[in-house]
Amino acid sequence: MAFVITSPCRNEKSAECVEVCPVDAIHPGDDMYFIDPDVCIDCAACEAVCPVQAIYAEEEVPEEEEKFISLNRKYFEEIS
Amino acid sequence: MDKEMYDVTIIGGGPIGLFAAFYGGMRQLKVKIIESLPHLGGQLNALYPEKYIYDIAGFPQTKAKDLVDSLVNQAMQFEPTVVLNQTVEGVVKTDDGYFQMVTNKEMHYSKTILISAGIGAFEPRRLNFEHAKQYEGKNLHYFINDLNHFADKDICILGGGDSAVDWALMMEPIANKVSIIHRRNNFRAHEASVRKLEDSDVNILKPYNLKEIHGDDEYIQSITIQNLETNECVSVELDELITNYGFVSSLGPIKEWGLEFHKNSIIVDSTMRTNVEGIYAAGDIVTFKGKVKLIATGFSDAATAISSIKTYIDPKARQQPQHSTSLFEKIKA
Ligand SMILES: Cc1cc2nc3c(=O)[nH]c(=O)nc-3n(C[C@H](O)[C@H](O)[C@H](O)COP(=O)(O)OP(=O)(O)OC[C@H]3O[C@@H](n4cnc5c(N)ncnc54)[C@H](O)[C@@H]3O)c2cc1C
Ligand code: SF4
Repeated sequence: MAFVITSPCRNEKSAECVEVCPVDAIHPGDDMYFIDPDVCIDCAACEAVCPVQAIYAEEEVPEEEEKFISLNRKYFEEIS
Repeated sequence: MDKEMYDVTIIGGGPIGLFAAFYGGMRQLKVKIIESLPHLGGQLNALYPEKYIYDIAGFPQTKAKDLVDSLVNQAMQFEPTVVLNQTVEGVVKTDDGYFQMVTNKEMHYSKTILISAGIGAFEPRRLNFEHAKQYEGKNLHYFINDLNHFADKDICILGGGDSAVDWALMMEPIANKVSIIHRRNNFRAHEASVRKLEDSDVNILKPYNLKEIHGDDEYIQSITIQNLETNECVSVELDELITNYGFVSSLGPIKEWGLEFHKNSIIVDSTMRTNVEGIYAAGDIVTFKGKVKLIATGFSDAATAISSIKTYIDPKARQQPQHSTSLFEKIKA
């Protein structure tokens, strides 16, 4: 499992999540932040501070946002 | 320096390391725990001390920090050696099969190692200024050991979580002046504590970002902070600067000890043995077929690992221990 950042982050990029993540799993992409699913420890700290409710536990991502599950993962596959 | 040889050195004083220390004591092993933070308890104390946990067998609900206290009490019955504030950086196996572990402070010696390092060594999230480091241990604090040190001083606290707010409230009655500086408009602390803070004499500065720290060779004398809404900069004089930006952890050096990893987890077999003879692992840091990362399952890893270590050190010992109901009193007698 992991937490996933979805579309509301796109114009927001507020970065509160980055400040609270205890394992530095959240990285800035071009227009939004992404969570590295291999590093995330599911602590839910980011979910609680996101001002636009863009962050969900993987199994709770709304259907219309599901593509972000693979987008988060892909971002880290590409940079590694 | 403690040149003593231990039967098992447990790297990581989280819940699993603590339970392993207890179990090691019960199996009459000479145990040492090394923890990088100044306190035991791992993720429970560093990340969620005030949260309730509902899935510890036998406890319908328990606060994380209370569980840590119980685990510490249980472990200390056998008086293990506890080493705090040290991070194990390197592990070397000597020709005679023993281990030398080097930390940021000293060398440790052990017949076996049990790695219960969880998600890695915790450290406080530090200030992002190169010259900040020189003030650590002087008037820049990431931990509070002795409240009296802050009596009658002008204190600035950076951060907006529970600890920052709690520290501000603890210092307010004894300090000359306490200011709390937070980057956001809302504190991330319990509502009741925030209300108390607002009713107190603490000077609340938000939303302000730390721009610069100013000091001489010895001490920080003031900081410049910037209002994130108006961009206006303010200078705040201080005697002590306390930073509470939470903790970060990283596996860091563990990945270089020759252990087999799958992603960020050490691969163990059903006896909790790693690929290096004499090194065992337990808890969040391990993976095996069916591994579930929970405290409950970590306890089980710990008991298995200690039993395996016991038979490794003493091949005549039994993997299956006697039950604590009969063993405990015999050992304590
Ligand atoms: C917000 C949150 C809520 C949770 N809720 C639950 C729950 O309800 N139920 C549940 O079962 N689990 C829960 N968990 C998970 C649980 O906390 C972990 O499974 C547990 O902490 C694992 O314990 P551990 O001892 O293996 O590792 P950790 O707790 O991570 O402890 C490892 C310790 O080792 C130290 N260390 C690491 N490397 C070194 C080194 N090189 N040298 C010295 N020291 C080192 C670290 O500083 C740390 O203190 C939760 C986790 C979080 C973050
Ligand atoms: S759930 Fe926790 S570990 Fe995962 S990205 Fe969010 S803050 Fe980081």
